Amino acid sequence: MRMNRFSRISTVWRKEFADTLRDRRTVIAMVLVPMVVYPVLMLGSLQAFELQVSRLKQEEYTIAVTSEDVGRWLRTRILDPDLARHTVARGVPAEDLAAAIDEAEQAARAAEHGSGRGSPTEAAEADVQRRPPPYRVEVVSNVQEAVWAGQAHVGVVVDGAELPTPDSLGSARVTLVVDEAEIRSQIAASGLEAVFKRANERFVERRLRDIGRAIDFIRPLDLMHQSISTPEKLGGSVIGQVVALVLVIMTITGAIYPAIDLTAGERERGTLETLMAAPVPTVDLIAGKFVVVASIGMLSAVLNLLSIGGTIYLGGLGSVLTQGSPLRIPLHTLPLVLVVLVPLAVMFSAMLLAVCSFARSFKEAQNYVMPVMMLALIPAVVGVLPGAELKGPLLIMPVTNIVILTRELFMGQIDRVAILWVCMSTCLYAGAAVAVAAKLFGQEAVLFSDSASLRALFRRRFFKPADEPSVAQAFLLMAVVYSLNFFIQQTLLKSGVVPGTAAHLAGVALTLVLLFAALPIAAAVFMRVRVAPALALGAPRPAAVVAGLCFGVSTWVLGLAWLSVQQRVLPLPPELVEAARPLEEQLRGLSLLSALFFIAVVPAFCEELFFRGYCLSGLRGALGKSGAVLVAAFAFGAAHYSVHRLAVTMALGVLFGLLVIQYRSIWPAMIAHGLHNGLILLAAREDGLLPYLKRWGFVDPHTEAVFPPAGWLIGAGTLVLVGLLLCVFRPGRPDYPPAAEVRAAGP
Amino acid sequence: MIRIEELTKVFPNPDGTEKTAVDRVSLRVAPGEIYGLLGPNGAGKTTTLRMVSGLLRPTSGRVLIGGIDVTNHTAEVKRQIGYLTANTGLYQRLTPLETLEYFAALYSIPKAPARRRIDELVDWLGMQDFLKLRCGALSTGQKQRTNIARALIADPPILIMDEPTLGLDVLSNRLILQFIQSQADAGKAILLSTHALDEIEKMCKRIGLIHDGRLVAENDLAGLQRMTGRERLSDVFLHLVHADEPLLKD
Repeated sequence: MRMNRFSRISTVWRKEFADTLRDRRTVIAMVLVPMVVYPVLMLGSLQAFELQVSRLKQEEYTIAVTSEDVGRWLRTRILDPDLARHTVARGVPAEDLAAAIDEAEQAARAAEHGSGRGSPTEAAEADVQRRPPPYRVEVVSNVQEAVWAGQAHVGVVVDGAELPTPDSLGSARVTLVVDEAEIRSQIAASGLEAVFKRANERFVERRLRDIGRAIDFIRPLDLMHQSISTPEKLGGSVIGQVVALVLVIMTITGAIYPAIDLTAGERERGTLETLMAAPVPTVDLIAGKFVVVASIGMLSAVLNLLSIGGTIYLGGLGSVLTQGSPLRIPLHTLPLVLVVLVPLAVMFSAMLLAVCSFARSFKEAQNYVMPVMMLALIPAVVGVLPGAELKGPLLIMPVTNIVILTRELFMGQIDRVAILWVCMSTCLYAGAAVAVAAKLFGQEAVLFSDSASLRALFRRRFFKPADEPSVAQAFLLMAVVYSLNFFIQQTLLKSGVVPGTAAHLAGVALTLVLLFAALPIAAAVFMRVRVAPALALGAPRPAAVVAGLCFGVSTWVLGLAWLSVQQRVLPLPPELVEAARPLEEQLRGLSLLSALFFIAVVPAFCEELFFRGYCLSGLRGALGKSGAVLVAAFAFGAAHYSVHRLAVTMALGVLFGLLVIQYRSIWPAMIAHGLHNGLILLAAREDGLLPYLKRWGFVDPHTEAVFPPAGWLIGAGTLVLVGLLLCVFRPGRPDYPPAAEVRAAGP
Repeated sequence: MIRIEELTKVFPNPDGTEKTAVDRVSLRVAPGEIYGLLGPNGAGKTTTLRMVSGLLRPTSGRVLIGGIDVTNHTAEVKRQIGYLTANTGLYQRLTPLETLEYFAALYSIPKAPARRRIDELVDWLGMQDFLKLRCGALSTGQKQRTNIARALIADPPILIMDEPTLGLDVLSNRLILQFIQSQADAGKAILLSTHALDEIEKMCKRIGLIHDGRLVAENDLAGLQRMTGRERLSDVFLHLVHADEPLLKD
């Protein structure tokens, strides 16, 4: 059956892929644009950039001065010696001067490379500061007016009794009059300022020499820069900024056309009805189509990457971006970058399919796609903002996190935990998008635009009453709860509430109640899903209670042992331990009863309702029992936002999930969950079990490390096993419909 | 073979009201029989056929195909049905041969039998000349032949045809009708809807008249003529939908 389904999906995939590739429009969008248009555009704009810069720096600029005296002084004492300095300094023949200066400038650029050159104006300013452009000096009656009127680019006003020279000891204040709204005025001033600075240095040097001192006399500290970033890292940083954004956008852009063609296009041409008449479940059809869209998106990302890489490598764009310093493309990270792009392609393919499914025609679909593009663009741009780091909320911010991660990967910074976060959250969003797309695609209103109003999709009256939420509802709610919870927790911490205080715990508890209990119940009521069966609120069988108690009293021992082993193999970073300290201290200050209430009772109640109630029953129809238990356990683990605890929380999720899916009652799982949390809490408290644990040999007297004695481990392991056996064999088999029947009843 | 019982479909209107597109329609089609569903535009023919083929879910009532309920066993039932409408389009960028191969794969027909079946259909429908052209380049008649071959790829015992001759020229029309007749002679149950009254007159053993979602009459041609006292089917039809008064009064 599974193989059969796989072959059906692959049949659809093969056909759609071939069909899409035969379309000239796809080929143009996917191959021609990235492979031909980009390089041409990039090189073209690069040349325009260079042209603009060279024009700006070679233009003749006019300096307005107040009198002939000042004009002469400026020419002979300031400008001419500055031009001559290259000849004097290098002692090269005049005809080789230009080449020598260029060479020196190349070296200077390499020494002061930055992340990019910015605008042509900035680049030209940097150039004229190194070598002044040709200047013409003109005497005017009013300098300010001349600059304002554009007669001169820059004005020089000198206040002082005499015009300083190297031989005299006089000084004067020189004011540069600039019109900062004019690019040429800025460039002229920039170059002139550098000329004056060098003149100043020349004067000082000469005056010092006259009194027998070297320049060090007034410059005891000589400040220099030395860059130690490797060519790979530099290349990664530069390419990462440009490429991360382009990759993300092109992955989505590449997916747009097939997404429209395979949904709205099919409907417009009437092939959708033909296809739906074939004995293939809608889910398989949409799966096949969706894989095509995602793979075309990935393919266009790869082609774009190759094209950009080639342009940067062969077209010399890289050296411009880094101002001539050596740069290497970090090729070895490319496979990893592509892997990271997979969940992104999946997420957007599903979103695009879902959106395009609504459209009646190709044109309509194109309009619907625009908001999705904006939805992608804005967070993508947030990701390339300078200083955006993979921390806090940005870790799970869709698209943004992929953009930042891609950039970091290019720079050779591979943070496994961050990759895990980014991929996990994106997978969750992708799962929700896929589920919604599958749900929408099968809707009659979507299949036959003439047969029903789309609005009916959202009208409660037309929801069919059900005993369990659909898989789409489950995924959607999981994604919503996951991100909302994260943002609320972050906001709580940012708001200045000290973690672990009653106020903070009450906030967390309120969030838990609202998000994990009230929200699923409200969603169920709105979608006409009967709350009691959906959340498995039925009374438990005695065997289930026994199994729950077995898990509840034993898992904390195994959890402690696991964390202890994990700490030895993969120690927690010290800053995380530090960060958790205030929380622990506050918790210790809390009375035992309130701590138990906040740590054990509330989470057990709310989290079970959501993960083992709503999610599990929603997932079971589509994924089967074991699939549902595993996915719900994964979501449960992910929702704790701690990689350190992921293994333990997921294992607990599996045990509790098994318990609920086998006995269809949430209460034993709540008991087990509450007991586990409560016992873990008690184990850490002096007024709880800690003194006993010390007596029983849990705590190493020298290192204070906690590890359960072998007898306890065996006992706990046995209890877990008993609980598992009770779950698997279900003594006194209750009369549940087998999973296959539940599945067949679905659409 | 096909049994429709009290079939009803209610669509929500955009303004929140509801529209009953098909209202308690019941009918049966036996193997070897061609049943003609006749009615004006918007009468509910297409909706009925879509429910029979498992494309739409009935609001109430049920459809049994060979005794199997369509709603609960949609995929199984779709396997038994060849579905063909004037709207069923072809993939423009695939050739007829590729189209047939694709649908054979969707019906999980193994490669060797699929090839035999395709050869057979190509022979019957005279598709050799355009088998390897892209569907986008075919004439209307060639497209419809391809579509028929596509509907028959799995040799289904039941054919559901929604205006199969819409927009065809006289020659193609005759070919298609002959083909449908031969399929009925081969023992297939055929449920057909059309505007073309003479087709129904010629081919259909029984005729169902559908108007405003309701089956207003069902009989063979002679029976309908007796019932209404009209000779020509078009007059019978107009009489039954109470539209036989002249529209333009002088």
